Amino acid sequence: MATRAFQRLPSAPAGRILVLRLAAIVLSLCIIAGVLALSGHSPVVLAELILRSTLGSRFGLEDLALFMCPLLLTGAAVTVCGTIGLWNIGAEGQFYAGAIAATGVALGLHGPAIMVLPVMTIAGILGGMAWITVPTLARAYAGVNEIITTLLLNFIASLLTYYLTTGPWRDRISGAQVSTQRLSVSIPEMWGIVHWGFPVAIVIVIGLALVLSRTRWGYEIRIGGANPEAARYAGIPVRLRIISVMLLSGGLAGLAGMFEVAGTVHRLQGGMANNFGYLGIVVAVLARGSCLNVIPAALLMALILDSGIVMQTQQLSASVVLAITGLILFMIAIGDELAHYRPVAGATPKGNA
Amino acid sequence: MMITLLTGMLATAVLAGGVLALAALGEVLAERVGVTNLGVEGLMALGAVTAVMTVASIPSPWVGLLVAGLVGAAGGMVFAFGAVVMRANQVLCGLATTFMGLGLSTALGHNYAGQPVATTFGHVTVPLLSSIPVIGPALFGQNILIVPIYVILPALVHFVMFRTRHGLNMRAVGENPAAADAAGIPVMAMRFWYVTLGGAMAGMAGGYLTLTYVPVWSEGMVAGRGWIALALVIFAGYRPVIVTLSALLFGLVTALSFVGQAHNWPIDPAFLNMLPYVGTMAFIIVPVVVWHRMRRVMAAPAALAQPYYRDVR
Repeated sequence: MATRAFQRLPSAPAGRILVLRLAAIVLSLCIIAGVLALSGHSPVVLAELILRSTLGSRFGLEDLALFMCPLLLTGAAVTVCGTIGLWNIGAEGQFYAGAIAATGVALGLHGPAIMVLPVMTIAGILGGMAWITVPTLARAYAGVNEIITTLLLNFIASLLTYYLTTGPWRDRISGAQVSTQRLSVSIPEMWGIVHWGFPVAIVIVIGLALVLSRTRWGYEIRIGGANPEAARYAGIPVRLRIISVMLLSGGLAGLAGMFEVAGTVHRLQGGMANNFGYLGIVVAVLARGSCLNVIPAALLMALILDSGIVMQTQQLSASVVLAITGLILFMIAIGDELAHYRPVAGATPKGNA
Repeated sequence: MMITLLTGMLATAVLAGGVLALAALGEVLAERVGVTNLGVEGLMALGAVTAVMTVASIPSPWVGLLVAGLVGAAGGMVFAFGAVVMRANQVLCGLATTFMGLGLSTALGHNYAGQPVATTFGHVTVPLLSSIPVIGPALFGQNILIVPIYVILPALVHFVMFRTRHGLNMRAVGENPAAADAAGIPVMAMRFWYVTLGGAMAGMAGGYLTLTYVPVWSEGMVAGRGWIALALVIFAGYRPVIVTLSALLFGLVTALSFVGQAHNWPIDPAFLNMLPYVGTMAFIIVPVVVWHRMRRVMAAPAALAQPYYRDVR
């Protein structure tokens, strides 16, 4: 009998996942290289150019950190929500809501940066929380699928941003399109164009990892995600935990929006969320539910975005990056599933095979 | 005055709703066999752009629609390969499909963006029927696809799903794949092909969008219609006829924002454009809150989004 028997394990060993994910990424890169070669680009030249202008240059590294900052927070937002078994696909909208709230503060409140920035931060967090409130309550009290409700709010947030930046808040000074005027305060820079939001985001992610793994609240969240019935039986108020986790998730994404407005873009712009919310899902998937893993995952995602800039200079549309991300996500999803299988050497398939 | 307004609104509603009806009906097929395909949005974008590209070289809307359907089917197969054959996480595979579809469609459509579509489905007026007041012009005075989308397809799906043995098998796969498997129903094949068919319908919905309703390709033009279609499936309790009717209802919400813009209502167009999304949210939240039993009556197939492992029980 041929040894083609496989056994599916309930949880996949980390080592196997790492190997299969590497294989998935390599396979995706091969497919991308093949497509590029077919469309008349030289993958080798392009790869060299990408490496040189991302990791090999100061500007590339600064951009990398700037990309990482929102990805860390949106990735953490999706990750904490995933801990209790829910998908927050609306980080994009919460990002806008946070950015809008922070901009509102910056436009209306005049004073020294040391006073305005904290208020903007709080406004950003509250904006993100407010944006996820309806899906949260609908999920907690009526069991309405949160994937669709959070997602639909993304479109509303982006339309609201468009309305504000072309209507009441439009730039009356320099006349920039679909944009507010440049904000008077900004998060101070620490290294080149990298602002202090970047280290703060890393600290937040580490803090979240500690809260989730070391506190009673974090434990209850994890149990609620792993086995809601058991959690309820053990007296954990699952509904309240769902509400708190989803609000926390929205607040994180809102904070990402505030950092982006106050640190990187310096104005509210249509399209400024740049898919960071959606890419946060990819980061969270890569991180496999661990907040600490969000850091390397965000780094990988930022690298992809950073190479996207290079590809744009090579007459490749920016949307290619989204397609590439999709391909990698797809391959990784398959790789993660395959990691559950263990070949059973020499075994004869039993009855049900 | 009122009659013309109503006629015009219904005509827009039927056009706008048709896109959703087609995509949502396809998703009903996939979800009834137990697979949530979150890739609808991406497949619609692919269908929309390939339809535009096709009619640019072959000036026939039918060929455009066919190609859009085939591309959708191919995309559906890619998704099904991951989610059904490899049994990977359906949410992830679906999101990945949407990313790939949106990214690819923008890259492909780069040279076609903003240009009017070469050929579209022309006006077809059915004699007699189209002179029925209000509903006549909407149903029988627009393009030729309206009757198939609103009547023939849903009726056919309803009949197959609820009146034939094959339909019973199909629903069994979505409710209890292990039992279906034991009864000799090919679970994998059933899931694979219905997801593919659903993908084809999503692609055709995209093609229908650019070949009738919005005859120009631009990035982001699908604008969440795929997600709205997914929400409609939940709202309609996975029932083919109800999903079609709710797509029409939804078309009315969209038409309302057009009427508002045409009549200069004192509301900013940006807010009117939010109506479809706000409406969808209300659609899936309000009924459940108002009527608690709704959740049981309109319940999802029991094995929805669960991969089937023959070897693990």
